[in-house]
Amino acid sequence: MSKIGVFICHCGENISATVDCQRVAEELSKVDGVAYSIDYKYMCSDPGQTLIKQAIKEHNLTGVVIGSCSPRMHELTFRKTCAEAGLNPYMCEIANLREHCSWVHEKGEATTEKAISLVKMLVEKVKKDHPLTSIQVPITKKALVIGGGIAGIQASLDIANCGHQVILIEKDPSIGGHMSQLSETFPTLDCSQCILTPRMVEVAQHPNITLYTYAELDSVDGSIGNFHVTIRLKAKSVDPKKCTGCGTCSSKCPQKKIPSEFNAGLGTRTAIYVPFPQAVPNKPVIDKEHCNYYQKGKCQLCKKVCPTDAIEFDKPDELLKEDVGAIVVTTGFNVLKTDFFPEYGYGKYKDVITGLQFERLASASGPTLGEIRRPSDGQIPKKIVFVACAGSRDPAKGIPYCSKICCMYTAKHAMLYQHKVHDGESYVFYMDVRAGGKNYEEFVRRAIEEDGVKYVRGRVARVYEKDGKLIVKGADTLLGGAPVEIEADMVVLATAGVSNNGAEQLAQKMHISYDSYKFFAEAHPKLRPVETNTAGIFLAGACQAPKDIPDTVSGASGAAVKVAGLFSQSMLVREPLIAVVNRCAPPLFSTCVGCFMCETACPYHAIEHEEIKNRNGDVIKTVAKVNPGLCQGCGTCVAFCRSKSIDIQGYTNEEMYAEVVSLLNN
Amino acid sequence: MNKLEEKAVSLLQSGVKLILGYEKGDKGARPFFCHTPEDASKLIYDEHATTNLATYILKPELMGHDKVAVCATLRTLRAIAQLASENQIKEENLIVFTITEEGNGDVKEFSGIDEINSYLTDKELEVAQLYKELDEKLSGMSREEKWSFWVNEFSRCIKCYACRAACPLCYCTRCITDVNRPQWIDPWPSPMGNMEWQINRVMHMVGRCIGCGACTKACPVGIPIGYLSRKMLNDLSEEFGYIPGQAMKDGNSLSTFKPEDKENFIH
Repeated sequence: MSKIGVFICHCGENISATVDCQRVAEELSKVDGVAYSIDYKYMCSDPGQTLIKQAIKEHNLTGVVIGSCSPRMHELTFRKTCAEAGLNPYMCEIANLREHCSWVHEKGEATTEKAISLVKMLVEKVKKDHPLTSIQVPITKKALVIGGGIAGIQASLDIANCGHQVILIEKDPSIGGHMSQLSETFPTLDCSQCILTPRMVEVAQHPNITLYTYAELDSVDGSIGNFHVTIRLKAKSVDPKKCTGCGTCSSKCPQKKIPSEFNAGLGTRTAIYVPFPQAVPNKPVIDKEHCNYYQKGKCQLCKKVCPTDAIEFDKPDELLKEDVGAIVVTTGFNVLKTDFFPEYGYGKYKDVITGLQFERLASASGPTLGEIRRPSDGQIPKKIVFVACAGSRDPAKGIPYCSKICCMYTAKHAMLYQHKVHDGESYVFYMDVRAGGKNYEEFVRRAIEEDGVKYVRGRVARVYEKDGKLIVKGADTLLGGAPVEIEADMVVLATAGVSNNGAEQLAQKMHISYDSYKFFAEAHPKLRPVETNTAGIFLAGACQAPKDIPDTVSGASGAAVKVAGLFSQSMLVREPLIAVVNRCAPPLFSTCVGCFMCETACPYHAIEHEEIKNRNGDVIKTVAKVNPGLCQGCGTCVAFCRSKSIDIQGYTNEEMYAEVVSLLNN
Repeated sequence: MNKLEEKAVSLLQSGVKLILGYEKGDKGARPFFCHTPEDASKLIYDEHATTNLATYILKPELMGHDKVAVCATLRTLRAIAQLASENQIKEENLIVFTITEEGNGDVKEFSGIDEINSYLTDKELEVAQLYKELDEKLSGMSREEKWSFWVNEFSRCIKCYACRAACPLCYCTRCITDVNRPQWIDPWPSPMGNMEWQINRVMHMVGRCIGCGACTKACPVGIPIGYLSRKMLNDLSEEFGYIPGQAMKDGNSLSTFKPEDKENFIH
């Protein structure tokens, strides 16, 4: 006979304002099998929990039902309380009287009646509950980091420095990401490469980090603690073991006019190339789409000149299988190109460039070796207009969000320009200056006050070319919308930060959620900012939304701590709320008939085949078995099983049926 | 000796212990278990051979460690192919042959399930006259009228489970009607329990039913129950490109997801 304790929480006034908690407790005390029933102001408080513990001991309770807030809030609290009093934690159930009742209904008889029904339902369930024990799963203490920008570099280093193995994959030939393209960084104006390259080298040299560049994620299976990933190592056409990085091949390559991705299209590169001088690894790859040999079938000049015979043509991509315990996604972002903007010339004016292109112009390793020269004729622009919010905060363009970094880098650009071209004039068209951040506002003030950058509040309506000048037409909204026209030599658009190419496909591959802009979604925007809804997959950096370097790095370290925290456990303790295929006495062994329709239905590949054998080792029957490490307890197999041979522990058919019948009998 | 008899004798002499086939009965052909070469002359094969013999090949009493051969009609072949996709066939103990329609009673023995599947690819699933009439009758009805039509039909069900016994794909060792913790379906014949049973039966057949009509034929009170499964086959073929009468190659339509699957029912 069940001896169930019912505990009704007032939740301050959250529940008691609309539900007569005392009456709920009284009504429940009359239900068969309820040995104890009481209401209390705060069940989750220390005295509240003591009340539960004492009742369990005094009345020898076999089950507990708590009428309180959502189980998402305090299920764990109350299960622990029960466990401390010696009751199996899974014999404790929560009736959600707050979100499902008091908050959504007005005060009244019916509301209290509903609360009574909700608690009664759970009482019937607890009667059918079985004690359960948590599941322990071994953890593969190796992490996969996807994306070798500053976020991926930081996360990899942090995890590796905790003593765990890390596999870092990067789709480009070198790690470094967007940060390696930047000239100086706000608000300190230290050289981006100077602070980044030591980290890049550290990654390459770290004994715990295995770096695969020119590699992409092919597929992911498994779950937290035990992912099985397949990595596609794209054929580099150069054997990195033989290559010494001498650079002879690049200098002889006849394809010299390919726009350099690293220089944001402002410079050129060859078909066999190292993206930039500080690249890690500093070994070239062949870009098959532009290589004469791959496109036309002959050339092989690089192979002829290579002193170590490192060129290997026609090698296929390799697929590498790895087991990892956690995944950190740091795939970064992209910026809109100028051709997105009809009002700024659809990208046809050479001297209308993006902020990222300006970074390359200002960078010492860039196409102009750090001199600000305009792309059309190489002249030094004497008047330059910066347009903030190019695309961003513009619902008409489909980008209603703020790209966050543009205000700061535009101030930096204008400042760098003033430092390099002393007689130059710079204008910044802005909507608002958003300089929230340590020393950020001071930095913008410095640009305006010390470097004389002219800030004009207003949008630029149009840019067009006239007599070799770019005519920028806008309005100054601080002067009542007075029209402003500037004859500029160059225009820099702070184009919006957008999600990276292929973000959607990657998210689908990994079963992580993403928002309407295809940025990856956090499990909780405030309290779980580096986790995804898929356990064991973490996020960092600008793949979540445009972010500056400090935010990116702190996010990466946060994700690394999550991974290290996971790896610090000897076993992964999981809730036992998983599917189980029944077993029974011979000759049946299980009511499962082995049709394995559950196998194709299972989204987690958790269904295995188990052969039941006799003493001679002959297979009598093949039945389904659920791998407890992989099962997520979604219940798809339960719904699909015709013979009802699968049940979710803690949510069995019998328990659910008891709840429904309890409601129907009301 | 006709070709069928020749085949049967040669199989029985080469170690096959049992041939499932048909013999002459009072009303056309009836199932026949042929154990000896002497009995082989009784085997017949004609248009009256309608019982789906695939029902027998899952019976542990018949399928032990011995080799068994089946003289399969098109329906039997379809059932065997579907059963194989559900891991229910022990191929090493089963020999399947058929009498081809094209030749003059030529016997064709299949090398395995793959050959059965390819044999079935160009065989269209026929629609019974009864179902065509029902189609016409029901197409003019509103949703409510259809519901009351079936409630009325099923009110005659006596829960004898002949449909279950006749169906080659109803092979669960424990049927959902026999589950009593919890008792999902009322076990006695009652309007509600009858609906529960028949809806469950049809749902369990979606994407698996091979449209042989054994259930309709078996029903002692004459409910056209096979029509519902047949309707489901057509729905599946419209929604998910399933070909009625052919075994699913990559899992059941309802248990698998393909990117090209329609999602227009999600709102």
